[in-house]
Amino acid sequence: MTFKHGMVAPLVALFLGVVGFPLGYAFYLSITGYRLTERGTPNMVGAKNYLATLQDGAFWHAFGTTALFVCVAVSLELVIGLAIALALQKQRWARDVTRSMLLAPMFITPIAVGLIFRFLLNDQIGAIPTMLHGIGVDYDFFGPGRALFTLAVIDVWQWTPFMVLLLLAGLESIPREPLEAARVDGAGGWYVLRRVTLPLLAPVLVVAILLRCLDAMKVFEYVFATTRGGPGTETETLQYFVYQTGIQFFRLGSASSMAFVVLLLVLTIIVIVFRRLERAKQS
Amino acid sequence: MTTTTRRRRRPLIVVALAIVALVVAACAGGGGPAQPESTGVGNVPKDTSGTVRILMENVPDTDVVKSLVPEFNKDYPNVKIDIETLTYDQMRDKLVSSFQSSSPTYDLVIVDNPWMVDFANAKFLQPLDARVKDTTDYDPQDFFPALNEIATVDGVRYGVPFYNYALGYLYNTDDLAQARQQVPTTLDQLVATSKALKTGNRAGIAMQPQRGYKIFEEWGNWLFAAGGSIYDANGKVSLDTPQAKQALNAYIDTYRTAAPPNSLNWAFDEAFRSVSGGQAASMISYNWNLPALNDPSSGPLAGKFKLAPIPGGKQVLGSWSWAIPANSGASDAGWAFASWITAKPHDVERTEKGGAAIRQSTLENPAVLGGKYGADYYNTVKEILANSSPLSQGASGEEMIQAVGTELNEAVAGTKSVDDALAAAQSAAAKIQG
Repeated sequence: MTFKHGMVAPLVALFLGVVGFPLGYAFYLSITGYRLTERGTPNMVGAKNYLATLQDGAFWHAFGTTALFVCVAVSLELVIGLAIALALQKQRWARDVTRSMLLAPMFITPIAVGLIFRFLLNDQIGAIPTMLHGIGVDYDFFGPGRALFTLAVIDVWQWTPFMVLLLLAGLESIPREPLEAARVDGAGGWYVLRRVTLPLLAPVLVVAILLRCLDAMKVFEYVFATTRGGPGTETETLQYFVYQTGIQFFRLGSASSMAFVVLLLVLTIIVIVFRRLERAKQS
Repeated sequence: MTTTTRRRRRPLIVVALAIVALVVAACAGGGGPAQPESTGVGNVPKDTSGTVRILMENVPDTDVVKSLVPEFNKDYPNVKIDIETLTYDQMRDKLVSSFQSSSPTYDLVIVDNPWMVDFANAKFLQPLDARVKDTTDYDPQDFFPALNEIATVDGVRYGVPFYNYALGYLYNTDDLAQARQQVPTTLDQLVATSKALKTGNRAGIAMQPQRGYKIFEEWGNWLFAAGGSIYDANGKVSLDTPQAKQALNAYIDTYRTAAPPNSLNWAFDEAFRSVSGGQAASMISYNWNLPALNDPSSGPLAGKFKLAPIPGGKQVLGSWSWAIPANSGASDAGWAFASWITAKPHDVERTEKGGAAIRQSTLENPAVLGGKYGADYYNTVKEILANSSPLSQGASGEEMIQAVGTELNEAVAGTKSVDDALAAAQSAAAKIQG
């Protein structure tokens, strides 16, 4: 072994142990018919679990539900987060207090957030429905056609601060000269935002959106605490579906294959996004 | 790199891959003894020593058990009882992983009824027939028969009852009197009474139509009240029947007209708060919620609640059982505790302290009947336990319950017709349980 290979060996070993082993083990389970209620070495089933996953309508329904949740939640977080970040950038006094207060929701564990909103939105004891009743509005937050959007709003409440944090850091690192030059040339605020600020902020925006999308895809706690996937299967997200299959129904082999299909799809999307970004940068 | 070096490395790579493959394969399901065997000791000697690690759910009944440990230690001074409590979902996950382990993690566990068949088939639990038979004055026939049935799989007993969670009809007596209603005894009366109990801001009945377990657990009572059953005489799922249709239509009608508005995701916590807070006049819930509702700390309405059997007389039954894992490291000491706490005199004590009933004789004991919860309550509990049935009777119970509960929730949400939901529930349950 050469010296340079020896130098990276600890990192490779760590990577194999920390990332490689769990992944390898999950892949091994995914090609077996392993159930948590079985003893002994599980029987190998090859690609059977993968074929079943690909043909499983419920899995793809959960995938679609999760994709819709991610789109709604992250879009709202981006718009609101950018607005707040732009406002905070211009703030002159009590900056530290405002920023630390804004970040608070991020530090609450998601299961607690889910439970808080479960009772906050309760029609009999919740503060929000009571206020709405006061102005003559009756809204079923967890009713059909609405529950998923309610969960997305809960996600927005908790994770917009994360978007603010990243975008604010990005805004403060933008050089002043192009902005001042645009203003000297008579550009309006909206024009400066659209033509100068956002293009300069693009790399940070991409990272922020990607991080939030990946995190939002893992939504589980809000579903668990509020709807358990209902009404019907309207809020049955991928994580909840895989959890039920693997842990509640004991079919860990099937659940592992589902997790791998999701992993492959997400990796593919990430690779495509980054390649397009590289091409855009080069052109 | 030379060809010789490559040749020298190839066997190393093959060996490394083989080791990884063996390690990975060894991690799955390899643990635990292949065939669990009961040691068969019924009367465990009083000088037995050891530590009994018990995994339990974080519920009031567990607190009652904990309070009796010092008394147990008077009989078994050398047995240390180490109780770990977790929430339901955490407990199930930890329980299953502990069963797979070759080294013992828990020596005594409690098993919920939907898991019993799966755990028994997986040989995770020790058969207890020999122990039960040899334990002096144990009298297993004194347990309510339905609880014994849950703990028995294919004629082999794998558990002894810990506590029941059979459902009943809980109502506010003042509200019922004000509405000039009687306690409902039929499905039609349940619907009519719930509607009659509804006033401006108060719901007639707090329902629990949350997807999955909750709605099936609640609706099962409506099914029984309509004269239906979850399984037919041959043990096959029978959910697509006229009685099931009648029950689901009645359930949806009541939800839309008498339950709190916008309560489609409600489960136990919401319903209990609603009833205890006077925002709903009645609910269908676990029989042992009556003492909790009448507890002075529950609110100004404490003392106004009563329990009745489900209209029609038959109700859904849930049950937890004590069981000894196949890989228990202290099965004799574990049985010493399980048999001690479920023995007649200690079951009386446990019930007096607020534990849920398991023995018929306990509910005839003068000390229990004259206790703080009153003879009226215990007589109703006895009536309830005499005619109750669990949601699932076969393997993959949890999956079957979730599948049916999803379809029922769809029907209540209005996203599926009653006919379609019941047909889908029947199909899913039959596919899962055969």
